[in-house]
Amino acid sequence: MVLGSAAVAKRTSPSGPRLRRLRLENGLDVVLSSDRSSPTVAVGMYYRAGFRLEEEGRTGFAHLFEHLMFQGTTKVPKADFGQLITGAGGVLNGSTRHDYTNYFEILPASALEMACYIEADRMQNLDINEETLQNQIDVVKEEVRVNVLNRPYGGFSWLWLSQYAFSTYPNNHNFYGEFSDLEGATVADARAFYDTWYGPGNATLVLVGDFHDGQAIQLVEKYFGPVPARPDPPTPELAEPIPTARTEFERRDPLAPNPRVAIGYRTAPFGNQDHLPLSLAARVLADGRSSRLQRRLIREREVVLQVDGGPHFPIGDSFEFKGPALFTIEATPRPGVTTKEAVSAIDEELARVAEEGPSPDELLRAKRRELGAYHASTDSRLGRMRELGVLASVHDQPELADKLPDLYQEITVQQVQGAVARWLRPENSTVLHWQPDGEKASG
Amino acid sequence: MNRGGRGADRAQDVPRPGPIPPLRVGRPIRTILDNGLDAMVVARPSVPRVELRLTVPAGAAIGKSAAASELLRAGILLGTKELNQEEVSESIQRLGGSLQVQQDHDRLHISASALAEAEEDLYRLVCAITTQPHFPAEELETERVKLIEGLRIARATPQFLAGEKLQQLIYGQHPYGRPEPAESAIRKTTRRQLRDLHQTTFLPSASQLTVVGDVQPGRTLARLRRAFGEWAGPHRHLTVPRVHRQRLQEVTFIDRPGSVQTVILIGASGPPVGHPDQIPLALASAILGGSFSSRLMANLREDKGYTYSPHTMSEGHLRDSLIGAALDVRTDVTAAAFVELTYELGRLATVEVEPDEVEESRNYLAGVRVIFLQTQAGLASSLAQVRGLGLDHRYLEGYAERLAAVTPTDLRRVAAEYLAPANLTTVMVGDADQAVALLSGVAPVSVRQARRAQPS
Repeated sequence: MVLGSAAVAKRTSPSGPRLRRLRLENGLDVVLSSDRSSPTVAVGMYYRAGFRLEEEGRTGFAHLFEHLMFQGTTKVPKADFGQLITGAGGVLNGSTRHDYTNYFEILPASALEMACYIEADRMQNLDINEETLQNQIDVVKEEVRVNVLNRPYGGFSWLWLSQYAFSTYPNNHNFYGEFSDLEGATVADARAFYDTWYGPGNATLVLVGDFHDGQAIQLVEKYFGPVPARPDPPTPELAEPIPTARTEFERRDPLAPNPRVAIGYRTAPFGNQDHLPLSLAARVLADGRSSRLQRRLIREREVVLQVDGGPHFPIGDSFEFKGPALFTIEATPRPGVTTKEAVSAIDEELARVAEEGPSPDELLRAKRRELGAYHASTDSRLGRMRELGVLASVHDQPELADKLPDLYQEITVQQVQGAVARWLRPENSTVLHWQPDGEKASG
Repeated sequence: MNRGGRGADRAQDVPRPGPIPPLRVGRPIRTILDNGLDAMVVARPSVPRVELRLTVPAGAAIGKSAAASELLRAGILLGTKELNQEEVSESIQRLGGSLQVQQDHDRLHISASALAEAEEDLYRLVCAITTQPHFPAEELETERVKLIEGLRIARATPQFLAGEKLQQLIYGQHPYGRPEPAESAIRKTTRRQLRDLHQTTFLPSASQLTVVGDVQPGRTLARLRRAFGEWAGPHRHLTVPRVHRQRLQEVTFIDRPGSVQTVILIGASGPPVGHPDQIPLALASAILGGSFSSRLMANLREDKGYTYSPHTMSEGHLRDSLIGAALDVRTDVTAAAFVELTYELGRLATVEVEPDEVEESRNYLAGVRVIFLQTQAGLASSLAQVRGLGLDHRYLEGYAERLAAVTPTDLRRVAAEYLAPANLTTVMVGDADQAVALLSGVAPVSVRQARRAQPS
């Protein structure tokens, strides 16, 4: 059976939905993407405040503060905050990442004005008090317990690998937070953090969905226009030298039945010639059963049961970071195979790609997957809001979202080969061997 | 939490949203193919893609062996005689799409997508792997090892242990209560057993095919007929036995020494999807623990700080559903959290909910459904889910109307019948030495040891 011949012959280019961008006088950056195909809107508020700017002794503070943003304002009390959104038929959430924190709602289109009110209100009137702070310190500790401490492989590998792979505090501290630091957080800390990082000039608002641009602009000006400007926040110093030799570490996990391993390669920054080729390299290497690593290591060589990875894996993608970041590959060795043997096998396969490049068909499939993923993401209000939010807030280039499929099309086998050769080298990496407690050390 | 009425001291200038928009599925076209396959197509040209769902009566409760069911699910992705697993994966990638196989108690779901221009190739590929699986011996061995290792990890995970035990207690000998397969059964299951199970459960006349995307429905139906028309199988109705509700009064506490949290899982067997009680119960469940502003969140998290994500659950089955609530709490507040959980369940069953709280949850459920149905993938999955349970698109479109008909009295009645503490079974997983002494003062407790994973 010959499949996909028609698909290969014809190339689909996205037409690119319209984008509108404006900046208010107080510095708020606004991105509008109108799409009237269904009666809903997504509202995303991105603050350029993530894990990496936490002060020493205040690990986990950016995420703890995210929780405080759901605790009501001097105008909308804590209990009402969620009720307003759920009662309008909407959902809300937020997430803290390395270089940003976002807050979002997806709602029926008629609730757009209410969502603008709510986001503008918590940008200026947040009710920070001792009671909610202590309550949310307790809640965050439970979050850490359920996601990290009470389960096998908790936090593997993103939470731990960066603690070994980087050499400076902004990049290598515990992003979820040491309990002693969380417990030490004060109302004064929270007020200072809010004042410094949560002003309109440090934020991007993204609106996606069922509205006229003119109507959205009017709402944005009405609710966000009056928010007072704050001084520009300091620029965090994140740079650190790239590794020159592989370093290896081991962690023991009393709950884990089997070993796992993660290799973190320092990856190409945004704008570097190798940045986009490495996104495609991630697909070539680890996307699906026909990917290079899954085919070679799971089926042909029978050394691992699972292998996956990519830039900023597993909690982000190529665009989620500014400053140093990792291209991570995670693997679970087959029973009887050591983590060290698994790493050697990965090294050999990457060396082959660095030398020979991917096959033209491997690269073609990676591009087709990118195109399919772009359309799937555009179809979802939340997906589109996230693409635009990250590109606008972290890189100041939301329009890139609609150009990426074409940019990927132009990437050659040689570019992917060169990017793998330059970045996915053993000397550029940190290895974390994750061992069940009580077993012999790797290799 | 409820300071003199919801929103009583809320700022007066908060803009009021309008009503929830209607739920629209579009214009589905449906045909029963000659082989009995029920095909539905909905045009949704929002992006140039197509989503396919094939629902087959090959759920874990249908066959005789849980191990065979699991291996059958894994085996579908291993390809056919002509197309090995990597070629299947390569094919789907060239179509710019994705392919997954999932299984619940009743059904096996194949979910696939492609760029719209490649729709016909997608149908041919899905039909090939569905109707002609080859189960190559060598690659099946790897799938066995993956399943066994996956189960070992699951057994180290407290939420899994609690869920497995709760289903055993609620469903007893019924297949819904069957524990996950033993490692020995996964090792022993033969290719012959898989072929037999495939032959008896992959029946076109008992399956539903759903396509949503940038398609012309008439032309797409013709393409589906061409691709799936040759799939043959006897006309047979497959179902699962009736469920007899049962309940255990004492708390079953599975000891997991060293745990820093206790998993609390409380539940019962509830009405099946489509039963008249299901909508009022969904609303009761949303009020209790379905959203950020639910009662469990307000009390156990936002007031007490005992837990991160307390929530209600509702898993729809053909015969019945599994309903209840779940939370992870730090060990030293296990008993206190159970008291609050029981209080909230009992309050819902005995005190009528205020109309504005009902309205808020009604809007929430309807709004979430509107949001979910707006993508090709969400619409395809929703349609496939209800079609697999014998309902159709009108069930989705009538959802808001049925929600609107629920009264506070209905709510209290279904809460009393299904969610009152005396009607629920509780399982906890945690450190018994630390948690059980106080808990025993609140409810009778029976402590069990966690089942040890077999050494590989």
